[in-house]
Amino acid sequence: MGVRSTMAVGAGKLTHAALHGLLRRDASQLPGRVCLAMDPNAVAHLRSKVRQGSMVVCGTNGKTTTTNLIAAAIQTTGQRVACNRTGANMLAGVTSALLVGGSTDWAVLEADELSTIRILPQLQPDYLVLLNLFRDQLDRAGEIDHVQDTLAEALAASPRTALVVCGDDPLSWSVALRARAAGTRVLAFGIAEDLRLAPDRVPEARFCQQCGAELDYGYRTYAQLGDFCCPTCGFSRPELEFAATGVHVDALGVSFELARSGRFLTRVQAGFGGTYMVYNLMAAAAAAALAGAGTSALLRAIDGFDPHNGRLQHFAVGGRNVVLNLAKNPTGLNQNISLMLADGRPKAVFVVVNDNGNDGRDVSWIWDVDFERLAGRADVVEMLAGGLRANDVQVRLKYAEMRASIATSVADALVQVAKLPTECVLYVLANYSALAPARAELEEMERRHG
Amino acid sequence: MGSQRGLCIAHMYPELLNLYGDSGNVLVMRKRLTWRGLGCEVREFHVGDRPRLSGVDIVLIGGGSDREQRIVCDCLLKARRELVSFVQDGGVLLAVCGGYQLLGHSYLMGDEKVPGLSLVDLYTDRGSPRLVGNIVVQSRICAQPIVGFENHGGRTHLGAGVEPLGSVLFGYGNDGETGEEGCLYRNVVGTYVHGPLLPKNPGVADYLLGKALERRYADGALTPLDDGAELAANRRALEVGGAHRFG
Repeated sequence: MGVRSTMAVGAGKLTHAALHGLLRRDASQLPGRVCLAMDPNAVAHLRSKVRQGSMVVCGTNGKTTTTNLIAAAIQTTGQRVACNRTGANMLAGVTSALLVGGSTDWAVLEADELSTIRILPQLQPDYLVLLNLFRDQLDRAGEIDHVQDTLAEALAASPRTALVVCGDDPLSWSVALRARAAGTRVLAFGIAEDLRLAPDRVPEARFCQQCGAELDYGYRTYAQLGDFCCPTCGFSRPELEFAATGVHVDALGVSFELARSGRFLTRVQAGFGGTYMVYNLMAAAAAAALAGAGTSALLRAIDGFDPHNGRLQHFAVGGRNVVLNLAKNPTGLNQNISLMLADGRPKAVFVVVNDNGNDGRDVSWIWDVDFERLAGRADVVEMLAGGLRANDVQVRLKYAEMRASIATSVADALVQVAKLPTECVLYVLANYSALAPARAELEEMERRHG
Repeated sequence: MGSQRGLCIAHMYPELLNLYGDSGNVLVMRKRLTWRGLGCEVREFHVGDRPRLSGVDIVLIGGGSDREQRIVCDCLLKARRELVSFVQDGGVLLAVCGGYQLLGHSYLMGDEKVPGLSLVDLYTDRGSPRLVGNIVVQSRICAQPIVGFENHGGRTHLGAGVEPLGSVLFGYGNDGETGEEGCLYRNVVGTYVHGPLLPKNPGVADYLLGKALERRYADGALTPLDDGAELAANRRALEVGGAHRFG
């Protein structure tokens, strides 16, 4: 390290110590920013702190959960891991995570898709895990084509990085094909059997990106993911290096058997999640295996997984169960609807949509959500709308033939459902900036009235 | 549709032109007819179909990505004559975002000038930066301001005889300079207020439905609906857009 980068790292560490140690404030961003201001290539210099290897996790949905699982799995083997656990996933967040502490064995870093172009060339990680690509925050991220271009460019600038990619997703696989043509090593994971689930809506990618023909599916798992094949040009799901079979998805969680190159690797079971979680767990298992952490490490990580980060977090307030989950784009919300419909208990549903900068200012996407699946069901006893754009949610639900009242907070929502028997669970589905306040409220209420 | 009064809506290429929740517009028209006891048939046209517009009252063209819009444009050009006679006959057409650009003589895709449908005397070129954000438009077709979101690189220029849909109270509109937004020509409405235009603008929805009923039954009267939720969302969007500063 040169003098300048040494000073930059020192300043970053000092910022971290002041924020975290003295002020007990969130130190996930600012230390990295301070460091980067003095040395824009700080990550390239911090790379030498990582002894064993590094991986970056990206994809529209599931990044934070998958990153945390991989980091936990590697940690259970007694190794040190640098990780941006709270989801600060742009260059500053990644830099902050690498700054803390001395040398580390592994770096497991979540990255925003568009930030990969700044992170990969500097970090030159061993692996990039690409979970999925869905439409999300078009006003900020641009169209999916742009995200794909960025990922392909980032991989081209980091030639020793192998790509671990969801082979079931035609949008992610398009990126993999381009990267492979440019010399990237590619490992695909996917679900190798028909789950025979009620199909949800396909908001994007019904058409082949190579030639424009409508894609055929042997089966679909959710959204545009599945055993796809273009009848015209042959663009199709690749052979799966990591494949899940014997998949069970129900209200209690998921389980499946994972094979690598046709050889049984492990049985994975988790008490949370829906179909999307099978993919997150598979990606985590593949990544852990590639990091040499072994399958038992991953299973221990899953069993101990309770990140308290608002993703499928369970609470009990005044005898009522409350389930909080992140839902920030159509596919995320559609998967949440599938999850709720698998839960036979009577339920009230509180949909919270903000339009802050990190949510995307445009709330048009709520019209791509299949709320109609909740309408007319006996187990869905009450709908509530919240957040800065509560009125938009209310109108959306009205046109799905559901009457929703507006709640100003989770506490208000609980007051409004107080008339319902306590067996009735409250689902709180919050988008990005709405999640942390909802979680804070619920943790406080649970502490006082749990 | 039998003896019941009702309308037929042609939804053009819903699988391609659905960038920002465009299906919301069809849903709103359908429900607002149903809630009034009127019939509604939605015909979806897909790539490869020849769009036949006989019996159609309302045509909806949404917005897509550049790539998707190009595919659609090629399809629609083949049906241009049918669309021209539909528009000249007073047919109702709503074109949103990318669909709005297709109405004109040409638009730019990258540096390539792509011929449009020439249904309305307008053309679109490109500018920098993209015009992105909340938008509020005052229009003569409805009492409340039209609210929504715009996200376009194109700059649309209206021919001398073409009326804009309205004037921009907040946001950018056609080109970010003239203060004009959208177009209004016969019963054609084109606008950059993208995706779900109609949910928060029930006045626009009823304007379109009224015009279509008038054409088919010579009576465009609509029984009023309780639009409390829609108008509250409209007011909320006005605050978000900052238009209250103009009020």
